[in-house]
Amino acid sequence: MPALPVMTKILLANIDKPDQASIAKYRERGGYKALEKALAMEQTALIDEVKASGLRGRGGAGFPTGMKWSFVPRNTNKPTYLLCNADESEPGTFKDRILMERDPHMLIEGMAIACYALNCHLSYIYIRGEYEFVANTQQKALDEAYEAKILGPSVMGKDFALDIFVHLGQGAYICGEETSLIESLEGNRGYPRIKPPFPATHGFLASPTVVNNVETLAALPWIVQNGAAAYAAIGTEKSKGTKLFSVSGHVAKPGVYEVDLGYPLLDFINKEAGGVANGRKLKAVIPGGSSVPVMTAAECEGVLLDYESLLKAGSMLGSGGMIVLDETTSMPETLSVIADFYAHESCGQCTPCREGTGWAAKILKNIIAGEGKRSDVDLLLKIADMMEGKTICPLADADVMPIRSFVTKFRSEFEDLCSN
Amino acid sequence: MPKFTLNGQEIEAKAGQTIIQAAEDHGVEIPHYCYHADLPIDGNCRMCLVDVEKMPKLTPACTTLVNEGMVVRSENERVKQAVRGVLEFLLINHPVDCPVCDQAGECRLQDYYMVYGLHTSEIPLGMKVRKRKVIDLGPMVVLDQERCVLCSRCIRFFEHVTETGEMQFFGRGDHVAIGTFEDRPLNNPYSGNVVDICPVGALTSRDFRFKCRVWFLHATDSICGGCSTGCAVRIDHRDGAIFRMIPRRNPEVNRSWLCDEGRLSFHELNKTERISRPLMKGRDGVQAPVTWEEAVRSIDARLKEIRAANGAGSILGFASPSATNEGLFLFKRYVGDQLGATQFDFRVDSEDKNVLEEEDQILRHFDKHPNSTGAIKLGLMSKELGGIDGAIEAARAGQIKAGVVIYFPPLVRRACDEEVEGRVFELIDVLEYSVVLAAHKSEWQTAASVVLPVTPWSEEEGTYTNFEGRVQFAGKAIDAGGDALAVWEAFAMLLHASGAESPWMSAEDVFASLTEHVPAYREVTLDKTRLPGVIVG
Repeated sequence: MPALPVMTKILLANIDKPDQASIAKYRERGGYKALEKALAMEQTALIDEVKASGLRGRGGAGFPTGMKWSFVPRNTNKPTYLLCNADESEPGTFKDRILMERDPHMLIEGMAIACYALNCHLSYIYIRGEYEFVANTQQKALDEAYEAKILGPSVMGKDFALDIFVHLGQGAYICGEETSLIESLEGNRGYPRIKPPFPATHGFLASPTVVNNVETLAALPWIVQNGAAAYAAIGTEKSKGTKLFSVSGHVAKPGVYEVDLGYPLLDFINKEAGGVANGRKLKAVIPGGSSVPVMTAAECEGVLLDYESLLKAGSMLGSGGMIVLDETTSMPETLSVIADFYAHESCGQCTPCREGTGWAAKILKNIIAGEGKRSDVDLLLKIADMMEGKTICPLADADVMPIRSFVTKFRSEFEDLCSN
Repeated sequence: MPKFTLNGQEIEAKAGQTIIQAAEDHGVEIPHYCYHADLPIDGNCRMCLVDVEKMPKLTPACTTLVNEGMVVRSENERVKQAVRGVLEFLLINHPVDCPVCDQAGECRLQDYYMVYGLHTSEIPLGMKVRKRKVIDLGPMVVLDQERCVLCSRCIRFFEHVTETGEMQFFGRGDHVAIGTFEDRPLNNPYSGNVVDICPVGALTSRDFRFKCRVWFLHATDSICGGCSTGCAVRIDHRDGAIFRMIPRRNPEVNRSWLCDEGRLSFHELNKTERISRPLMKGRDGVQAPVTWEEAVRSIDARLKEIRAANGAGSILGFASPSATNEGLFLFKRYVGDQLGATQFDFRVDSEDKNVLEEEDQILRHFDKHPNSTGAIKLGLMSKELGGIDGAIEAARAGQIKAGVVIYFPPLVRRACDEEVEGRVFELIDVLEYSVVLAAHKSEWQTAASVVLPVTPWSEEEGTYTNFEGRVQFAGKAIDAGGDALAVWEAFAMLLHASGAESPWMSAEDVFASLTEHVPAYREVTLDKTRLPGVIVG
C-alpha cells in the first residue's frame, strides 16, 4: 500500500488557535497579507492565477472557479456582484459554519480578493437563517475589518471601494441553489430561475453576478499568498487542492477535516475520523451530502476522495458532507429521513419535484411503518424516473439519487418490510 | 427567421420565438399548463418537455428559443413518457371530482389524460394531500386549492396584466397552494379573467358555477357590447339563454382578456321586461298593439305628412351607438335619404369624446357603447344639435316636430345612467310625433307615438366599429322573443312601405350595400371583419 500523502492545512490551519476570530490574531498569524498582495496585482492576472490553481466550487457542483469568474462580462455599465453562498443546508454538511465561526476574517479576505478581481464593490454573505450565531460572529469580524479600513471606501488604502453585508436567509434549503439565493436576496420567494440567462450576466438585480461557496472563497488568500502552482501541486490531476469533509454518523470522531483531494476514502474514515464507532462494521457511506448516491462498504474499497474517483465509483464528492452508516443502520429508515427532507424543502415550483418528492416520502413512511406493498419498491424507482432531469433546478435529482441508490443497492431491506 | 425541424417537418419560426410558439403557429399543439400566449413565460409545469437533438435532457418547449437547424421531437416515446409522468404527478393529489366540477368538459387535465395518461391511479385516497376548497375570492371567483395544478397563470395575470398582485403561492413542496393574503377578495375590475386562463377547475366563475355543463352550451363568436373597446368574445348559450361570455383572443384589441363588467353585461338584457309587439297610439292617445305592417304604413304616412307641413328639417333622426352598422345604415337610408331629414345625432352623454377616453390602461373605455365610431362614420352626428340637449331644445322651440329614435340602454351601467335615460325620456316627451325603436320597456314608452320592438346586442348579427375604427363582426347568439326585428329589418320595412327599393334579405346584404355607399368602408369585406377585424379610415 502506498504511503499516505502528507496533509496540507490550508483552510483549517489556524482553526483551533485561540482567538483566531479576532482581527488582531488573524493579522498576527499572517492575515490580510494576501489581500495586500492581490491589490498590487492586475485584476486579470488575479483571475488567471485562480484559474491556474485549479480551484473548483466547493458548494457541491465542483465547477472551476476561475472559469466561472471569466464568464462575467467586463466593462459593462452594470455593477458586478459577488454573493457568498453560506446557506449551508445539505444534510450532513457543516463545514462552512466552522470557517465562519472560527476564522471569519479568512472569508472576508477571500471575498475582498474575489471582489477586487471581479471589480465588484458590493457583496453579500447569504447565511442560512438557522446560523444566526454564525452570522453574528461574521458580522463582528466585518465590523472589525471596516474599522481597520480593510473594507469601506478605500480597501487597505487602495483606490478600491468595497462593502460586504451579511444577509440571513429565512429557512429554505432551496435558497442554497444560486438562482434561488439571488431571488431570495432580492426579496422574492426563493424559486430557482430558468437558465439561461445565467447569473454571470443576469444575476442579482439583473446584473453580472458570481455566487461562490464559503469554502471556495476562503481558499483564495492561501492561493494568492502561496501561488497557484503551490495549490495545484496538492491533490490529483483534475481535483486540485484540499477539501473540507464534515463527517457525521457512526464514526468515532465526527467533525470537520481538511484532506488533500485524492486521499483514500476508507483511510480517511479509519485513520482520520477514528473508524466506525463501537467496533461495528461499515455498511455504507454517503460521501458528499445527502443528495449523492450511497456507496456500499464494498464499493468504498480503493476509492479516492476526489471529484473524478467518486464519480467513477457511482457517487459524487458533492459538498463533502460525509455520512457514515454502520451495520445496524436501517436503510429504509435512513432513506425515509432523506426523502422527508427533500419533500419538505421542495420549493413547489416544478410539477415533478413538488409532487414526486412528497409522494416518495409518503411511500417510504408506509414501508417503514410495515404498511407498504412489494410493488411500492418499484413504484419508488418509477417515481425517480419520472422526476429525474425534468425540473428547473437539481433538487428533484437530489432526491432521485438517494432513492435510486438506496433502493437498488439495498432492495431486500425494503422488500422485507413490505407485505405482498 | 430560423428554420428548424419539428417531428421531421422543417418549419420556419419567427425571430425570438420559443419552440412552443413556433409549433403553435404551425398547428402543432405541445401540451402545456403554465404557458400562455399573453403572459410572461414561467416554465414550471414541465408538460411541454420536448426532445432536442444534442441536448442531453428533455427541455421545456416554452422556454427554449428556436435556433437555426434545431431538430425537435415532441411526439417520440421519450417525450410521451415524460409527459405521462408529469400528468400522473399532477393527478396524484387531484381530487378527481369531475362530476361536480364546472371545468369538466373543458379541462386540460381531462383532455391530456385522454391523450397521454389513461393510467390507473397508484395512490390510495388516504394518501392524497388535502387542501382548502370553496374559498370565496370576491364577486367573480371561487377557489378550490385541491384542483389547482399550480401553473401560476393567475398569479402572473395579476402581477403583469392588472399589476395588482393579489394572488401568490403559499407554502412549499406538495403543500403549495395559491390564494390571496388572508383570503381577501379579488376586487380589481379584471379578476374574472383568471377563471378563463385557469387550465383546470381551481378557479371557477361565481356567476357561471353550477349553471350548466359546458358540453350543452352552444358558442357564438361576438364582440362585447359593453363599451367602445370592442373586445372579441364568445357567447355561450343554450335554449335561448346566455349562460356566460368569455373572451376570444384578439392580439390587436383585447389579447385574451375581458373586463368583469363586460363579462357580466349580458345579464342586463334580462333585467327589465321586453317589448314584444309594435305599439301605436290611437286617436284616443292610448297605445295598442298593432302588426308591423300596420305600424310601418302608418309611420311612413305620418312622417310624410309632417314633412309636407313643416319641411324635412322638422324631422329628427336620433340613433343609438349600441345599434349595429347595418341598423344605423338603413336608419340613415330611410330617415335621411328617403324622408330627406338632415338633423341626426346619437349623443346622450358626450359619446364622441368618451369613445377615445381610456378608463384604465388595460381595456376599458368611458364610452359604454360598442358602436359610437360607427355612428360617427355614418354621419349621424350633427354639429348644430350637439347632442340630445340640442335636440330637446330644438323640439321645444318647435323646429323639430317628429323624431325617429333608436334607444338601447348601455349594457354596462354607470351611476349617471338614470339621468341620461331621463334625457331620452324628455326628448320623446317633447316630440309631437315620436317613433321609438327599442328592446326593453321603460318609462318613456307611454310617451312614444309608436314603439317598435327591435333586437339588442347578441340577438342580431352585424358589425360594430370600435374606438379606433376597427370594424368587427358579431354573430347572433339567440333569438329575440315576440315580434322583435333587427333594427335593419325595421328600416328595410319602412323603406319598402315608403316605396323605396328594399332588396336586403340579410345583415350581410346590408353590409354589402354599406361598403358600396360609405366611402370609409369601401375596402371592407365581411371576411375582413372577422378576427382581428379591420381598421377603416
